[in-house]
Amino acid sequence: MLDKSAPLAPAQYAPAPHVPPPPPPVPYLEVRGLSKRFGPFVALQDVDLDVYPGEFVSFLGPSGCGKTTLLRAISGLDVQTTGSIRQAGRDISDLPVSRRDFGIVFQSYALFPNLTIADNVGYGLVSTGRPRAEIAKRVEELLTLVGLSEQAKKYPAQLSGGQQQRVALARALALSPGLLLLDEPLSALDARVRARLRGEVRDLQRRLGITTIMVTHDQEEALTMSDRIVVMSRGRIEQVGTPDEIYARPATAFVADFVGKMNFLKGRLVTADHVEVAGATLTLAEGIGVGAGAAVTVCLRPEDIVVRAVEGDRPNRLAMQVGVMEFIGNHFSTTLHAVGTSLNLSADLSINDVRDLGICPGATITVVLPPERLRVFPDPPATGH
Amino acid sequence: MSTGTTFAAAGAAPAASSARAIRPRLSRDDVTLRLLVLAIVVALVVFVVLPLSALLGKALEDHDGAFVGLANFAAYFGDPALAGNLFNSLWISALSTVICVTLAFVFAYGLTRTCMPGRGVFKAVAQIPILAPSLLPAISLVYLFGNQGLLKGWLMGASIYGPIGIVIGEVFWTFPHALIILTTALAISDARLYEAAEALRASQRRIFFTVTLPGARYGLISAIFVVFTLVITDFGVPKVIGGQFDVLATDIYKQVVGQQNFQMGAVVGVVLLLPAVLAFVGDRIVQRRQAALLSARAVPLIPKPNRAVDLTFFAICSVIALAVLVILAVAVFASLATFWPYNLTPSLKNYDFDNMDGGGWASYGNSLTLAALTAVFGAAIIFTGAYAIEKTPRFGAGRAVGQLLALLPLAVPGLVLGLGYIFFFNDPANPLGFLYGGMAILVICTISHFYSVAHLTATTALKQIDPEFETVSASLKVPVWRTFAVVTVPVCLPAILDIAIYLFVNAMTTVSALVFLYSPDTTLAAIAVLNMDDAGDIAPAAAMATMILLTSAAVRIAYTVLTRGLLGRAQAWRRR
Ligand SMILES: Nc1ncnc2c1ncn2[C@@H]1O[C@H](COP(=O)(O)OP(=O)(O)OP(=O)(O)O)[C@@H](O)[C@H]1O
Ligand SMILES: [Mg+2]
Repeated sequence: MLDKSAPLAPAQYAPAPHVPPPPPPVPYLEVRGLSKRFGPFVALQDVDLDVYPGEFVSFLGPSGCGKTTLLRAISGLDVQTTGSIRQAGRDISDLPVSRRDFGIVFQSYALFPNLTIADNVGYGLVSTGRPRAEIAKRVEELLTLVGLSEQAKKYPAQLSGGQQQRVALARALALSPGLLLLDEPLSALDARVRARLRGEVRDLQRRLGITTIMVTHDQEEALTMSDRIVVMSRGRIEQVGTPDEIYARPATAFVADFVGKMNFLKGRLVTADHVEVAGATLTLAEGIGVGAGAAVTVCLRPEDIVVRAVEGDRPNRLAMQVGVMEFIGNHFSTTLHAVGTSLNLSADLSINDVRDLGICPGATITVVLPPERLRVFPDPPATGH
Repeated sequence: MSTGTTFAAAGAAPAASSARAIRPRLSRDDVTLRLLVLAIVVALVVFVVLPLSALLGKALEDHDGAFVGLANFAAYFGDPALAGNLFNSLWISALSTVICVTLAFVFAYGLTRTCMPGRGVFKAVAQIPILAPSLLPAISLVYLFGNQGLLKGWLMGASIYGPIGIVIGEVFWTFPHALIILTTALAISDARLYEAAEALRASQRRIFFTVTLPGARYGLISAIFVVFTLVITDFGVPKVIGGQFDVLATDIYKQVVGQQNFQMGAVVGVVLLLPAVLAFVGDRIVQRRQAALLSARAVPLIPKPNRAVDLTFFAICSVIALAVLVILAVAVFASLATFWPYNLTPSLKNYDFDNMDGGGWASYGNSLTLAALTAVFGAAIIFTGAYAIEKTPRFGAGRAVGQLLALLPLAVPGLVLGLGYIFFFNDPANPLGFLYGGMAILVICTISHFYSVAHLTATTALKQIDPEFETVSASLKVPVWRTFAVVTVPVCLPAILDIAIYLFVNAMTTVSALVFLYSPDTTLAAIAVLNMDDAGDIAPAAAMATMILLTSAAVRIAYTVLTRGLLGRAQAWRRR
């Protein structure tokens, strides 16, 4: 389990037998049993989370799931109802904002409109009582870091959205905080600038090695920028994992649904590793610990449906009729109907596949649903929803 | 399967200790802000709530200070003359409100929904009455329609001294207030609704009744409440032109100043408080609804030229604007004539205030002092208070009480507040009694009287700036006072100046609260108008009213020039 979160050591550097295993890394931020209530409404329930030094962690989830609430608890803006938070070994659970150690960037940037860019960035430095020359040098350094040294004398309203965002970042970093908090930092920008800034922010974070938490509801942003993603729903953590894990091995049906596109197939287990779905029987790679007869949901990503090299005796090999094909740009989004059953799937087929195999609407093709790609979740009891 | 979450769960704190509710520790900033909120609460309790309670207490006492329950109220309602004045007040206010709001609606419609020429001029002219004390239109009406009036014949034998004069004077004086509210309401209407209605081929008449009126209904209701309250609590107009016709406001004055019957004055004060409080509550409810209406994303309506409509509205608005100008001009000309209307040779003899009742030029000087002090201290205190109430983290109960108290003065008529001040500060047992009779109590009373509108202006401005400024500052370890001084105040400077001007103009023109509180050393210009008029020196009264008007206008013009010029340069950051 440990190695799932810690960077994997390449196999050829495997330690010699007599060297003791490395100690588990010490979390920089430890959140324990955190709950937040607004009157009777539970916005966060019993959240546990560890963030490691230098990590970039994203909070991802649908609107209203409690991402911002969790971030505000960590920052002390809106202190939790119960639960504790430790940062760098220090219990900060009840400390006011000014006695915590973080820099923060808001969606609105909250730049002071009447101060120049340089004064904005140096805002926190002035109160530290450092000499002017030193402050000026640090401001120059920070502005160079975010590539804005030319703009020092301008006012925020004279900069583009992306530039303002970088000023906010420089200001947050001015006091060299141990933790950087970003609340939807890119969502006010247009798509093109956003894509570029993703890379820039991530790059800067790596260079400084600063532990960072970002709130986002944009899964692409979370998947491309993060070391680990915390997927949240209704005030709880659904799953914590690397982007790869979250995408390829969603822990719950919610995660499977929320991240990426997914086929959801209602079915019933016939044996521990066979499931009957809409008249078709599918083989699973492994059981899920519930007995035969249990109602389950089978998940399969549209791009995991295999159409090439499908000859021979492979499990889950089906003849399917092609329905609608929609050209999306770099692939075809296609509906498939399994011949002789009522099973319908949506598949993403590459342009190559379509061209080479001559797939067209109405054609019947053979596909494989790889057992190791099928995720199965037991359905909640009927009363549960 | 769920990777990572359980990483160090084994080392988690024991459940018992983590289940304990967290009590956030207070930072120095939290303490500062909370103390500020408390200071405002205490100030408003001392300078608004306690005087009001003193008034209520007085209404329940007899002449010797013994508690008599509701006996005074029984006496009041048992006296047909007194209770009749309540009825007078109600119908006069209702009538003035209907006329004023109707005219203001037409005027506002012309300004916002038509392409009639001269909209800028019309708008400016319609604002002028706000710069004058309510005594000024009353004096003008005396000159126009009084016993020796120029246009006396127009009344066909009826007398201007009484309901007719009061209604005309009140409509004139409250017109700008209704106009501001209605222009705003009509300006925010959504163009998409009109496009939809036109696409459905609705007639202009139908569009007016199904789209325009409903869209402006909150503005209309609000204007009705505001005008009704202003009229029923106004004292200047009925005092000058009411003749033998008494209303609640003049009643209070007569009971207290004329007959020294403080108990009965207090009773009338309580009676006057009721409709004002009701109107206040009604207006609050409507405002809350309108906020929801405003937040919708509306497309602003841009009027299209239509010759017939534009000319019609131009004609109507011209008549209204002309009436406003005539009423203003008559007072000014009468004050400059040697002996209106017999000898029209220009002369400044009416401005020789030092040789007349009312305190002379010293009154004018006192008024300037009062207005300046009220503007400076009022703007500083009210803005800082609104900041604390708006921006203190958590502390919900304290902030809610502060907000409620800050809005309370809006429901309190000036006369009632002034009367409360007499009872409260003139009480020998009150350690604050030393304030009585000086300039300080006039300043405090004026700030309290006009607190709410200024507070709302400040709150609106504060809500418009980014709520995270304070958070960012705290995370940068910058104390809150520094962010307040370096960021909040400069960003909100236009609103702060607006507040200062509002307080200055009101301090110059107000009579109601201060008429009970001035002393021989602190006579005031607006009260001098009243006293000179009382003594029959109508031309000098007009002259002093003109001085007040000119001063308010000068300050307003200076403000406009200043914001466009000097201030504009210091605020370069506002431009892109
Ligand atoms: N001050 C508050 N009072 C009452 N309820 C609140 C308050 N703040 C947040 N909530 C509720 O808590 C829940 C979580 O809110 P939160 O702002 O954390 O959501 P979020 O995940 O950040 O959503 P979004 O993506 O829309 O920003 C929501 O249902 C919200 O309505
Ligand atoms: Mg949020």
